[in-house]
Amino acid sequence: MADPAATPRVPTWSPTLTVASLFLAVLCLAVLVFFTRRTSRSTGNLLLLVGPPDAGKTAILSTLAYNQTLPTHTSLQTNASAVTFSPTKKPSTVVDIPGHPRIRDQVNEYLADTKAIAFVVDASTVSRNGPVVAEHLHIILNALTSLPPSQALPALLILAHKSDLLKSGSAASATSESLAITRVKTILERELEKRRVAQSGGVGVEGLGEEGERTEMGGLECTGEKGVFSFDAWEGGEVSFLGTSVKVGRTTDEKAEADGLWALREWMEENA
Amino acid sequence: MLDHCSISHKGGIVLWSRSFTPDASQLAASSASPVNSLIREALIEGRTTEEKYEKDGYAVKWTFVNDLELIFVVAYQRILQLTYVEDLLGALKALFVKMFQPFLATFVASLHAINSGKTTVVEAASAFSFADAFDGWDKMFDKLLRSLEDKAAQDRKSRLRPVVRAPVAESSSPPSEELETLPTQSSDAPQDEQQIARNVQALKNRLRGRGGKRGGRGGGRADAASGRESIPGSDSESTAPKRKVTAKAQRKWGDEAPTETDMASLDFSADSAGATGASHDLQALVDEASLGTRTRDGMYEVKDWEFSRDEDSAIANALKPADAKATPTLGALGSLFSRLTGSKVLTEQDLKPVLDGMKQHLMKKNVAMEIADKVCEGVGESLVGKKVGGFQTTNAAVRLALSTSLTRILTPKTSTDLLLSIRTKLSSPLTSTQQRMPYSITFVGVNGVGKSTNLSKVCFWLIQNGLRVLIAACDTFRSGAVEQLRVHVRNLSMLGVNGATDSKGRVELFERGYGKDAAGIAREAIAFAKDNDFDVVLIDTAGRMQDNEPLMRALAKLVAVNTPDKIIFVGEALVGNEAVDQLTKFDRALRDFSSASGAGKGRGIDGMLVTKWDTVDDKVGAALSMTYVTGQPIIFVGCGQTYTDLRQLRVANVVQAILAD
Repeated sequence: MADPAATPRVPTWSPTLTVASLFLAVLCLAVLVFFTRRTSRSTGNLLLLVGPPDAGKTAILSTLAYNQTLPTHTSLQTNASAVTFSPTKKPSTVVDIPGHPRIRDQVNEYLADTKAIAFVVDASTVSRNGPVVAEHLHIILNALTSLPPSQALPALLILAHKSDLLKSGSAASATSESLAITRVKTILERELEKRRVAQSGGVGVEGLGEEGERTEMGGLECTGEKGVFSFDAWEGGEVSFLGTSVKVGRTTDEKAEADGLWALREWMEENA
Repeated sequence: MLDHCSISHKGGIVLWSRSFTPDASQLAASSASPVNSLIREALIEGRTTEEKYEKDGYAVKWTFVNDLELIFVVAYQRILQLTYVEDLLGALKALFVKMFQPFLATFVASLHAINSGKTTVVEAASAFSFADAFDGWDKMFDKLLRSLEDKAAQDRKSRLRPVVRAPVAESSSPPSEELETLPTQSSDAPQDEQQIARNVQALKNRLRGRGGKRGGRGGGRADAASGRESIPGSDSESTAPKRKVTAKAQRKWGDEAPTETDMASLDFSADSAGATGASHDLQALVDEASLGTRTRDGMYEVKDWEFSRDEDSAIANALKPADAKATPTLGALGSLFSRLTGSKVLTEQDLKPVLDGMKQHLMKKNVAMEIADKVCEGVGESLVGKKVGGFQTTNAAVRLALSTSLTRILTPKTSTDLLLSIRTKLSSPLTSTQQRMPYSITFVGVNGVGKSTNLSKVCFWLIQNGLRVLIAACDTFRSGAVEQLRVHVRNLSMLGVNGATDSKGRVELFERGYGKDAAGIAREAIAFAKDNDFDVVLIDTAGRMQDNEPLMRALAKLVAVNTPDKIIFVGEALVGNEAVDQLTKFDRALRDFSSASGAGKGRGIDGMLVTKWDTVDDKVGAALSMTYVTGQPIIFVGCGQTYTDLRQLRVANVVQAILAD
C-alpha cells in the first residue's frame, strides 16, 4: 500500500507529490470501504426455516427455490436462496438453518434481519422425539422473546411437515393436514409445559464468567390462570400452524397450488 | 461391491446418488442412512481428519471440494477390503468438478443469496433442471467404476496367483483364467512335499557353508519365474514397488531354498542393468508382448490403454495431474492483487505455517497434543481451496475457522439440563405394579480428581431444588472415603432450604463400610431409596487408574448391574495429554465390559464434570480435549471449595479463553 508515513524519509519530495500520494491513499481506502460495505449485505427481510434435523427444511427450500423437490441429507451449513412468491413483489430470501444441536445456534446471526420464522416439525416422528423438538423450539421462543424491544417481532409459524406420512385412521372427516397440526400442537404444548414446570421451581446453576448474566432460558411465559403453557396464550405473540408435505423427485411447474406447500407459500407471501 | 455413492452439497442437497443394492437404496432414503450418520457423528463434530467412518456394518469414506462446497461419499460393506475407494473418490472429484463446473458454480451461488447480487440468481434458479444438468454423468460414473474395479481385481489376482503358469496357458483368453488357475494349483500341490524336502536339504547344505546346489528342476523353474518377474522392469515406474512385493512372495512360494546364486538370479527387482541384464530384458520384452495381446492384465496398463481411447478422453483428461492448471505466479505483487480483488485461493502451503502456529498455541493452552493435531488438520481441510477476500489474511481466516470449529466441538449435542431429565423421569406415568425408581447418577474417574467433593456440590444443588437425595458410599477402598461423605451429609443437612432452617431428611448417607462389593452396595442403595421415597441416588465410586483392568471390570459391573441414568466422568482441568487416554479407556472399558456381562449394548460415559477449573486460569484446553474425545457434553464445572462453586460451562467463554493470546 502507499504508506504516507514513508514520505518524510525522502526530503527532496515536493509538497505536491506528498499531497498526491496522500490523496491516492485516501482514494484506495475509500474504494476499499465501498467494497466491504457492499458485500456486507443488508436486506432485512429474511424468512428462516428452523427445526430439528430430518424435519425437511432443505427439501422445502429446494421446492421453493427450484420448483422441484431434491433428495437431501443432513445439512452441514446454512443455505440461503432467493424466492419469488408473486411476480409483483420483490424476491425474498429464504434461509434454511441446519437443525443439528451443534450448529443450530447460527439462527441468532440471522434473527436481527428476520421477518418471519417457520419452525418445521416432522409430524410423523414428533411423538417419539417430542422432548428434543421441544428443546429446540424452546431455544427459538427464548431467542424471540429476548429480542430488543425496538425490533418488530418476527411472525412465528409452526409447520407440521410430512403430513402425508400420517395415517388418518378412522377419523375420515379430518384431513391429514389438520391431523398433523393437532398432533404437533398437542405434543409440543405438553413437552413445553414440562420444561416450564421444571424450570419454574428450580435453582439453576450459574454459568461461568460474568456475574449477573441471564442464565436460565425464559420465553415460555403465558397469560391465563397458573400460566400453563399453550400456544394460544403465549406472551411472545401469535403462533400460526400449518400442515404441509412434499414429494421427493416431483417437479412442480406453473401450478404451484398442486403441491403440498401452497399453504406455506401463501403464509410466506403474506409475511414477507 | 459398493453399496452407495453420492455427491452432494454441504447444505444438504443431494446432486447425484446411486445405491447398488435394494437394501442400500432403502436405507439411503431413510434418516438413518450412512451418509446422514457420517455427517452427524463425524463431520459436524469436527472429526473430519479420520480416514473412514464405520456404522452398522458400513464403512464410509468421503472427500470435500471446498470451493464448490461439495461432499463426495462412498459407502460399502465394512468386511470388504476395497482398495480402490480412495482412487474412486479422487477420480470422481476431479471428473465431476471438471464436467459440471459452470453449473455447480451457479448452483452454489444460488444457495448464498444473502451475499450476492440477487436478480440474476433468481432467474437462474428457476431455470435449474437438475436432471438435465447431470446428463451423461451416469455413464461416465459406470465407466470409471468399472475400470477401477477391473484394475483392483487384476491387482488382487496377480497378488494371489501362487505359481507361475506355462507360457502356453498364458496365451489363453481371460475368462478361462480362473478355471485354469485351479488345476495348476492342484497339480502343484503334490510337488509341495518334495519341494519342502528339497528345501530342507538345501538349507542343510547352506548351513554347512556350501554354495547353492541346484535341483535338476530348479533351473527351469527359476527361468520361468524370472520371465514373469521381469514384467515390472518394463512397466511404468510407479508400479515397481508393488510388483517388488509380489516378486518376493513368489520366491517364497517357489521350490528353491534361497541360496546365494538363487538370490542373484532372482533379483530383478530394482535394476536389470546387472551382468545378466541383457538376457532378462529380452525375456521381459517377449513377455510383455504376450501380455498385451492376451489380457487387460496389470492395473496401470488398463488405465492407460482404456482411458486413452477417444470415447474416454474426458475421463483421462480430468484425471491427469493438474500441473497444467497451475497459473503463472506474478510474485508478491500478484498475490497482493489477487488478495485485493478477493480471489486469493488458500493452498496447503499457505495454511501450513499458520496451522502449525495454531497447533502450538492450542498446546500452550493445555489441549492434548493429539487433539490439537486433529482439530488443526480438520480446520485445514475445511479451508483448502476456499477463497479469502478483501484484506482478510490467512491468519484471520484460520482463526475464524478455528473458532467456529471449537464452538462446534464444545456445544453439547444432547440436553445438559439435568434437572429437567430428573423431573421427567420422576413424573413419567407408571403402571400400577411398577414402583417409582429414583434417578441415579454415578461418578467415575481416576484418583484424586475430586469425585466426592463435586458429588457433594451436585447434591447441594439438587437439595436446593427440593429433591431428596441419597448418597451411596461405594468407595469401599480408600480409608476415610465414607467418613468424608458423612461429613458432607452432616454439613448439607444443616443448610437451610426453602425457608426451612435445616434440610434434615432431605439428604442421607447409605454406607456398608469398607471392603465390600461396590456393585452390591449400589444396588442396595437404590432399593433403599425406592422404598424410602428418595428422588435421586448419587453413587460415589472409588478412584481408579484407567489401565487397571480388574478395577475397570468392577466399575463396569457396577454400571451393568445398576444401569444408572447418568454416568458422569469426573476429570480435572489440570490434565493435559492424559485426558485423551483416561477418557478413551474409561469409555471403552465401560462399553466393553458392561456389554459382556449384561444384555444389550454397552453403556458409555454420558457427560463430564471438570474440576479444579479455578486453578488453570485460561489454560482451559482440557475441556476441549474431553469433549472431543467423547463427544459428550461437560455438564458441570467445579471451581472452588464451597458447595456453591458449581458452574455450567459457557461455550463462548471457553472458546475465547482458548483463542486468547
